[in-house]
Amino acid sequence: MNFKRLTKKTEFYIAVIILAFCLLVQVRSGQFFTGNNIVDLLRSMTIPMMFCVGEMMVLISGGVDCSFPAIASLSMYFVCTKMDGMFDNPLPYFLVAMLLGLCMGAVNGFIVAKFKFPAMIVTLGTSSLFLGIMQGILGSSEYPLTSGLYSLGSTKLLTAVNAKSGLTSDLPVHFAFMIILVILAWLLMNKTMLGRAIYAVGGDEVAAARAGFHVFGTRMFIFCLSGALAGFIGVCRSSMLLTVSPNNMIGMEMDVIAACVLGGVSLIGGRGGIVGAVLGTALMTIVSNSLILLGVSTQWSRVFTGLIIIVGTAVSAIQEQQRKKKLFVTISDKAEVKG
Amino acid sequence: MKKKLLATLMTAVMAATALAGCGGSSGSAGNSTTAAPAAAPADNAGGGSEAAAPAEGGKDYKIAVVVKGNTNGWFIRMNEGIEKWAGETGINAWMTGPTDTDSAQQIQIIQDIINQDIDALCVVPVDPAACEPVLQEAKDKGIVVICHEGSNVENCDYDIEAFNNAGYGAFIMDNLAELMGKKGTYTTMVGFLTTASHNEWADGAVAQQEAQYPDMTLLADLPRVESENNTETAYEKAKEVLKKYPELTGFTGSCSDDTPGIARAINELGLADKVHVVGTGMPNECRELLKNGSLTCITLWDPADAGYAMCELARKCLDGEEIGNGTDLGLPAYDSLQVDESNERLLMGNGFISVTADNVDDYDF
Amino acid sequence: MSENIIKITGVKKYFGGVKALDGVDLVIKKGEVHCLAGENGCGKSTIINVISGFYTPDAGTIEIDGKEYSKLTTQMAIDAGVQVIYQDLSVFPNLTVRENLALNMEVASGKKFVSKKRFQEIALEAISKINFKADLDEMVENLTVADKQLIAISRALLNNAKLIIMDEPTTAITQKEVKNLFRVIRDLQKQGIAILFVSHKLDEVFEIAEHFTIFRSGKNVFSGRTEELDEQKFTYYMTGREIQEEAFRYEKRPDAKTVLEVRDLSLANGFADCSFSLKEGEILGITGLLGSGRTELAETIFGYHKADSGEILIHGKKVEIGSVKDGIANGIGYVPPERNVQGLFMEQSIADNISITRWKDHADRLGFVNEKSIEDSVAHWVKELSIKINDPQDNMKTLSGGNAQKCVLAKWLSLDLKVLILNGPTVGVDIGAKYDIYKLTKKLAENGLAVIIISDDIREVLSNCNRVLVMRQGRLAEERMTSELDEASLSALSVE
Repeated sequence: MNFKRLTKKTEFYIAVIILAFCLLVQVRSGQFFTGNNIVDLLRSMTIPMMFCVGEMMVLISGGVDCSFPAIASLSMYFVCTKMDGMFDNPLPYFLVAMLLGLCMGAVNGFIVAKFKFPAMIVTLGTSSLFLGIMQGILGSSEYPLTSGLYSLGSTKLLTAVNAKSGLTSDLPVHFAFMIILVILAWLLMNKTMLGRAIYAVGGDEVAAARAGFHVFGTRMFIFCLSGALAGFIGVCRSSMLLTVSPNNMIGMEMDVIAACVLGGVSLIGGRGGIVGAVLGTALMTIVSNSLILLGVSTQWSRVFTGLIIIVGTAVSAIQEQQRKKKLFVTISDKAEVKG
Repeated sequence: MKKKLLATLMTAVMAATALAGCGGSSGSAGNSTTAAPAAAPADNAGGGSEAAAPAEGGKDYKIAVVVKGNTNGWFIRMNEGIEKWAGETGINAWMTGPTDTDSAQQIQIIQDIINQDIDALCVVPVDPAACEPVLQEAKDKGIVVICHEGSNVENCDYDIEAFNNAGYGAFIMDNLAELMGKKGTYTTMVGFLTTASHNEWADGAVAQQEAQYPDMTLLADLPRVESENNTETAYEKAKEVLKKYPELTGFTGSCSDDTPGIARAINELGLADKVHVVGTGMPNECRELLKNGSLTCITLWDPADAGYAMCELARKCLDGEEIGNGTDLGLPAYDSLQVDESNERLLMGNGFISVTADNVDDYDF
Repeated sequence: MSENIIKITGVKKYFGGVKALDGVDLVIKKGEVHCLAGENGCGKSTIINVISGFYTPDAGTIEIDGKEYSKLTTQMAIDAGVQVIYQDLSVFPNLTVRENLALNMEVASGKKFVSKKRFQEIALEAISKINFKADLDEMVENLTVADKQLIAISRALLNNAKLIIMDEPTTAITQKEVKNLFRVIRDLQKQGIAILFVSHKLDEVFEIAEHFTIFRSGKNVFSGRTEELDEQKFTYYMTGREIQEEAFRYEKRPDAKTVLEVRDLSLANGFADCSFSLKEGEILGITGLLGSGRTELAETIFGYHKADSGEILIHGKKVEIGSVKDGIANGIGYVPPERNVQGLFMEQSIADNISITRWKDHADRLGFVNEKSIEDSVAHWVKELSIKINDPQDNMKTLSGGNAQKCVLAKWLSLDLKVLILNGPTVGVDIGAKYDIYKLTKKLAENGLAVIIISDDIREVLSNCNRVLVMRQGRLAEERMTSELDEASLSALSVE
């Protein structure tokens, strides 16, 4: 890909903003490019990034999923309390949570794909429903983490030590899950016909149906996948926290959607990709976890985060606008008016 | 594009309203469960504290306690206190509330209960302002109304709080100073800068340090950090603060999510012996951290005591006893009530406790 | 083997109580270019959907290549060699040219994984069929409508097509591109592929089609060879009424004032050094190929773009037009070619659309909109422009192209305009409504409005304008009185 085409991409600008911001933090604190800080940031990115991958796929298919925190919370809470102590191996917890998430995603998908209701309203509704089940029927509250997941949560990939300050940071095993997930998602979106179907449905649903894509099936798949992923991520989150905190993920949907949009994923569908989603999440995480290092006071941190989001989104918005208003007329050199 | 955005917003707002509407109307008394009213043992053979002796003439009162949500561990613990009081006094007192923390359901339950010929109503309101009309109705019926965690409620006889906020902050600071050896730099964490109680506690802690611990200093660059009521954020912020300010050796936590989050951060950074945290915490959430030494102590107030105190206060009102500064409700935490200077209905105890690895198993919430 | 690629007999299709097709016949011979014409709602799209297997007819028989199908599915139709190029082209704007060309084939063959190599092969094969040169890596959204159309055609050819149905293929492309399309069609014809050409652009269908079928209200009204038709008969069959078109005659009044004067107006990548003037009651045509700068010029006068240099004078006074708001404030109205994108709010009610430019005038002192006042004004325009609507509160998108266009006009006419610019005023508009719009435009001019019509429909320009400017490569190249021109000479001027 040549440089000129590269500069037309939102991803390029987000990468530039990230780099500039990192350098700024480095200059101000001298601590950005230290092993333990990088590990801290990678750790903080883990969960939002996984959510972002799921949301990106839903957004590209032309939908939106606001219910994934609720699905993640409910499936996680169910397996952690109802299956507490049943297994030493963490795998069954993940599998059951994914299955539960898949069922909840299927509810979303069926309503959206079958009745063509707006995905946002449907998932806001089911989100409330799932949280209601967790709080009302399961009577959610803080709960100790089952031992199988606890030991998984304490497993680290590596420990970074800062030579100067002696501070250490652990990179949990979940980071590896995240990397695998990102790779799988990239393969799905770019190397399979199903991925093309997701883009096609998001680009033009009618055209996709005429081309022979199974629109209903694709939409169902996307929401089921988003649900199953949410179940998986929910269990990841609690094992990273080393406690079952049912309300911990509530409210993450807006940050995740914002990260996707920041990375150039279109809210109307069809446009965007995994690289953008990854960069968008990276920017959001780095900014919110570097303001103290940067010396921004708590009172001003929201203003700062807001500005970064606006600047980041403006990049793609301005590009789009320019593309639309751009003129292409080739004007001849000589004036020639005959009457 | 603008139009699309607007439409999206509109639908969002509509959906939100619709959902809120659903939540409100679906609530009914049907899903409230009433804890079994305690039986009334007639004899009073020892055990009961003197102050809580049954009223002269053994008056047969009915006292209902409506809490935010009766499946919540916090209120299950509160019920223990209520049952203890009922057992000691022989007076019929019981706890009820919505299964889910929901203001509309709670109001519905209060409405049902005040029609059941009760003498006193104790309420832990979900939304204090929304409760006012129904509490007004209760008062009009001659029912004694006692609130807890509702210091601004108008239509009550008294609101009883476990402590005054500055006092609780000072308590946190005393514990932290102990761990820090009364010297070093510290900072405070709150849920949000806009959460009044959290900030009053933090202010109280700072005031206590300024008055009592001259060798300690508040981190000037960053005197207050937000955890956004999220353990994970508390953890991330604590790490960042410790990276930026290596001189820091202490944290106070306000939100119950702050304390365990900070403790995990300290532990992971390898600073367990150098940096300390004291603050509000829930025993269940912190049990593991207390036991493995990441946390030395958490501070809180015991909901069982609050339940006991509410019922006892209600009885005193029914019996027409004088209530004021120094009133003793028969518990160490509430043995000398304080009346708030600006609000004579607001009574405060000194009901904070600290929980350590040794006694954490006494609390299951 | 049959000599007919398709033979439809007595097909009926009802939607609820509506008879979309009420027993129609359609026979297309192999290798024939067949035109299907009719006004909106005559059943054209329904029959396309029946042939493509999308709708199952309620009665009648369908025979493809001599084989009768009792229940035709879309896959069966494709297998039998029927390909439809829809008016919206059914391309994916968000995917590359390569993917657009190859996807349908790959889906049909049940492939699970994407292979760039295979995609490349299919794409190259597809564009080679019609000698179409394209950058396979380009996003389709960046292409012109004509190129998108060629993508759709080459894609259709991959499936061994025997009959290609083209639904209104020329509405959004320029004359030059139409010529190119016709070249492609003739090529296909040589390969023995039949084309069903659905259109109501008279000159074009007469040029390309050998055989005609005309529908009106779900029934056949004509079927026969092109020679049997002339323009008058065609219009009559289409509309069921006799329409006489009169050329616009501009009566030059001695006291007619110059309303608009443009001096040396230039815009980078738009146009350069454009100067012209326009008097009250004139209808000025501006024509030229797509990309000649005609639309850019109009948009700049209206204020959508800000000119880099030059002057615009209204009634002899220099005005600054830097935004659409300035344009409107100076009494300039603009009807864009893409009504649904720039001219109308398709999801809003008809009443709101008509009244939107004047909401301020319908508001009371407190700023609340007076519903009654809006109703009166809407009723006035509906009557004045004979817009066919059921209820002013219906959604805009329920209206046909012609009626929608009238609504755009109503929106502007309710303002006190000095200059009205119509860009492609009859694109996608029925023949009947088209004449209504012509009549209306002429009436407006007679009442003293200065009108500019931007169009590449030569016939439209000749019969409606008294003067015409031809643009070439961003410059005003010719200025002629229409009375000196005929179709051939004007057409030649714009391509020169």
